Amino acid sequence: MRPFEFYSAQSASQAVVQHTKNKETHYLGGGTNLLDLMKEDVKRPEHLIEVADLPYKDIKSTSEGGLALGAMMSNTHTANNTEVKNKYPLLSMAILAAATEQIRNMATNGGNLLQRTRCPYYFETSMPCNKREPGTGCGALDGENSKHAIFGWSESCVATHPSDMSVALAALNATVVVQSENGESRRIPFTEFHRLPEDRPEKDTTLSDSELITSIELPKSEFPTHYYYLKVRERSSYAFALVSAAVGLQLDGKTIRKAGLALGKVAHKPWKLEKVEQFLIGKEATKEVFEQAAELALQDAKPLKHNAYKIELAKKTLVRALLQATSRS
Amino acid sequence: MKDQTKSKTGASVNRLEGALKVMGKAKYSSEFAIDNLAFAQGIQSTISAGKITSIDTSLAEKQEGVIKIITHENALKLKGYGGRFEEPDTKSISPSLQTPDVHYYGEYIGVVVAETFEQARYAANLVKVTYAKSEPKFIFDEHLDELYMPKEINDKAKTNTQWGDVEKGLKDAYKTIDVTYNTPVEHHHPMELHNIIATWEGDKVIAYASTQIVAHAVKTIADTFEIPEDNVRVITPYVGGGFGSKLQLREHGTLGIMASKMIGRPVQLTVTRHEMFTAVGFRQHNRQHMRLGADKEGNLTALSHETSAATSTYEEFQEPCGAISQTLYNTPNSLVTHKLMKLNLPSPRWMRAPGEAPGSFALESAMDELAYKLQMDPAEFRIKNDTQHDLSVDKPFSSRQFVECIRIGAEKFDWKNKWKPTPGHTKKENWLVGYGMSGSSRQSPYMESSALIKLKLDNDKVQVTVQTDATDIGTGSYTIIGQTISEYLDIPLEQISVELGDSKFPKTPGSGGSWGAASYTNGVKVACDNAISTLKTLASTSEDLSVIELMKKADLTEFEAKGTAGPTEEFENYSVYSFGANFCEVWVDEYSGMVRLEHFVNVGSAGKILNPKTAYGQIIGGITWGVGQALTEHSQVEPNHGNFITRSFADYHVPVNLDLGKIDVIFLPEDDYIANPMGVKGIGELGITSIAAAIANAVFNATGKRVRDLPITPEKIMKTKIEVA
Ligand SMILES: Cc1cc2nc3c(=O)[nH]c(=O)nc-3n(C[C@H](O)[C@H](O)[C@H](O)COP(=O)(O)OP(=O)(O)OC[C@H]3O[C@@H](n4cnc5c(N)ncnc54)[C@H](O)[C@@H]3O)c2cc1C
Ligand code: SF4
Repeated sequence: MRPFEFYSAQSASQAVVQHTKNKETHYLGGGTNLLDLMKEDVKRPEHLIEVADLPYKDIKSTSEGGLALGAMMSNTHTANNTEVKNKYPLLSMAILAAATEQIRNMATNGGNLLQRTRCPYYFETSMPCNKREPGTGCGALDGENSKHAIFGWSESCVATHPSDMSVALAALNATVVVQSENGESRRIPFTEFHRLPEDRPEKDTTLSDSELITSIELPKSEFPTHYYYLKVRERSSYAFALVSAAVGLQLDGKTIRKAGLALGKVAHKPWKLEKVEQFLIGKEATKEVFEQAAELALQDAKPLKHNAYKIELAKKTLVRALLQATSRS
Repeated sequence: MKDQTKSKTGASVNRLEGALKVMGKAKYSSEFAIDNLAFAQGIQSTISAGKITSIDTSLAEKQEGVIKIITHENALKLKGYGGRFEEPDTKSISPSLQTPDVHYYGEYIGVVVAETFEQARYAANLVKVTYAKSEPKFIFDEHLDELYMPKEINDKAKTNTQWGDVEKGLKDAYKTIDVTYNTPVEHHHPMELHNIIATWEGDKVIAYASTQIVAHAVKTIADTFEIPEDNVRVITPYVGGGFGSKLQLREHGTLGIMASKMIGRPVQLTVTRHEMFTAVGFRQHNRQHMRLGADKEGNLTALSHETSAATSTYEEFQEPCGAISQTLYNTPNSLVTHKLMKLNLPSPRWMRAPGEAPGSFALESAMDELAYKLQMDPAEFRIKNDTQHDLSVDKPFSSRQFVECIRIGAEKFDWKNKWKPTPGHTKKENWLVGYGMSGSSRQSPYMESSALIKLKLDNDKVQVTVQTDATDIGTGSYTIIGQTISEYLDIPLEQISVELGDSKFPKTPGSGGSWGAASYTNGVKVACDNAISTLKTLASTSEDLSVIELMKKADLTEFEAKGTAGPTEEFENYSVYSFGANFCEVWVDEYSGMVRLEHFVNVGSAGKILNPKTAYGQIIGGITWGVGQALTEHSQVEPNHGNFITRSFADYHVPVNLDLGKIDVIFLPEDDYIANPMGVKGIGELGITSIAAAIANAVFNATGKRVRDLPITPEKIMKTKIEVA
């Protein structure tokens, strides 16, 4: 690990000001992603600002009847919080499908959204990777890409975003609240928070350099009953997804009134299925309808050399998650 | 005499060192606090083939704490391989940094020594290396025309064997199969990282090294550094798993010892988890072509098992995949062959049940495929083809309860009622339920092994200390050795102290190849027998008195005896194997293709079980390995660069608890005193053998999909077509 200077921030504004002073500066949440990357020499910050102890560790009600989740609260506390469990069980389910208890204890909500891709080329400093070192090329594009993107990739990067929590947040129409350099706070709709790689894969989000996430807001509870997070992976726990689906439904008898849907590990960002959400409104919750929905969801998918299977897998995952969500009561 | 039933062999005694381990007091090789210790970090190549043209260490050398940077330009000259490509028996040397040549991605090309581990690791990142690349080869399928037959394979086994006429046997058969299986590169990944702390005094070296075979490590160090074996001491009281990767002390050991010699200080070198993918061997990718035939009644008419695999460009290694096909079934016509190609990858080496683990997957899947074609119960098909004679060497088995294992396993599992021949027979919601079974066997070697016991009379109690260079790699060696003393000297375990893993103790073959338990305990038994008979002589009595009485009578307060056991001529006249059978139930999600292991029943027949508790642990561990082999483990080679891109536990998936389901382990009673005087057989490798096949067969029974390339991932389930009979 390279030497670095360490600051412990006392307030959000102090953290942001400190961050703007030096270029190679990173915030440190639970460190479960950043420290790994530093040990691997992928990330080489000269300054670390610890933000994990800033007072954003609780859950507050919003004036719109939703919840604001503190960005420094741990994944474990968030998932096990009674209000979250009752009103947004989809979020609890997605968080608990990730990593292990020990990692979730350390991981902060803010850090979770900003965890970097698991693309192996990104981790291996001796290989080309535009995300790690812009201009070196994308190793995965012509290399091994069986776990990479089927949506929204570019010639510069075909990586996927690994966060489970973010997939649920996309389905739930969350908003990310950040503290900006000018001292104001800024609200970013979740679908606009992560970005596609285009020709700048080194940037995962639309945050500016020094912006600090302070909370994640959830709108009024919409899917407390019919929900499911299905994560398909190569072992039963402690593995990143091959694909995942976050599904929330409002049902009136068999009729779908509203749907919140997103796929995970298929793109550089959580893949919100807006068209499918619209398609489902007013339809019957049946397997046939869900299969049509899955076709619609995957119709624009574009596979790479090794990952065509993910299209079929994503369809089946979505259908299964919708069926599970329907049968829950 | 007191009754030691509770501490004798056969009793479920808790591990003697258990409390020490729980309290963190059991010292592993990296935990010896040595004064003035420096830390070394390897530098690895980032090309697959070529030559180093320059190494710029200037920036790295300037960093705080850096003591020395060693590369091929300034390394100690060691005994090298003559030509680079070597026969297996010269592997006792382990040179490193002797030439600028690069043979694979991740090869050690240098080492940084610094005051702290962090400083060494940081400086290692700052060393700049330039190369002249040559055309590497690392894609198996691109070099099939380069396959050749090695002169011999692992353990001097024959490359090819045959009897009868396989082609005719296939032609005469009522049903045949002709299929190919692939098992991927797998890595051992013991929990404890490979490690060495080396310290020189003059021309003598002490190495605290994590190793399975102390005497072999001594020889490797002595031969590589060209010093007498007497000048080398290896200490390894506890080993956190080895699985074959620690049979030899390889390049990392050499680097640690060299660094210590060059800076004149003790040096520790720990192989990082990432380096474990390239530095300490792995199981090679094996492609196994199986052709089997059977007549209408289900008697095998031919069994052909042809393996192609890859070795490195500098060392020849082939695990004997076909070995199990030579001994498990009665076939009038047999052909077993092995072929190799040379690729720019690290050298493959032994990994738990080398040969049997991949070989049994091919054989026991193929038997299932043929049973399916014959529309026979696969358990009955195996029973029908049992043999009490080892046809490959024309010797009887010392004991073989293969059929009993199958019958008892089937009964315990309720196979007759559960299993149905047509795939897809049972569905529970989204889950397709399937049942599978397999038979297994693994050779049970027995080797010369010595021990020293020291008796001390103290207040009417005899304290016993036993010393051997045996290792406990997590298997329970301390405990079974203690139990052996308790039995043959009739002394309670509390009065016995077991000291292992030091080359100043009498020699054993170490732990590996399933020979440890049988060899160690018989050596210890002979030491006990010698102690009693010598004491009787000294006490001038022929009466069966207790050890205390004998010592008193002989007027002794201290006494020592040594013993050595080893195979006899009778042993050589038999084939000595352990046998087993596996039955399992899996659930396959029809949507995602995820496989859940619901229930596993394993029956083993492996002679005397010294300690059921540690033995169950071995088998459950073996089954867990088999589950990994079947469902999750796979090291991937990057197609353009030739490095392993599964580079941590986040990408290399070993099974987790949730993957395991309910596991029942049963040992059949078996008296086999041809195997050795105590009747002990190996179980460490029997536990993994044929597990993957049982699971793959169950997946077929659930889905009708025959996934012949391991591991069986959701991706492969998705891609594989349903077979129609
Ligand atoms: C072995 C392993 C397995 C895992 N498996 C999964 C899995 O299955 N699913 C899954 O979703 N995740 C998984 N994870 C990832 C884990 O969820 C993330 O590492 C964790 O959520 C990151 O949170 P953190 O607080 O530790 O972030 P850190 O490591 O502290 O930070 C991550 C990034 O976020 C930045 N940052 C942190 N907080 C803020 C803030 N408030 N504002 C702005 N920037 C900030 C940091 O500068 C850094 O760039 C796994 C991790 C590991 C190590
Ligand atoms: S996919 Fe993205 S992260 Fe992976 S190698 Fe290409 S640029 Fe790097």
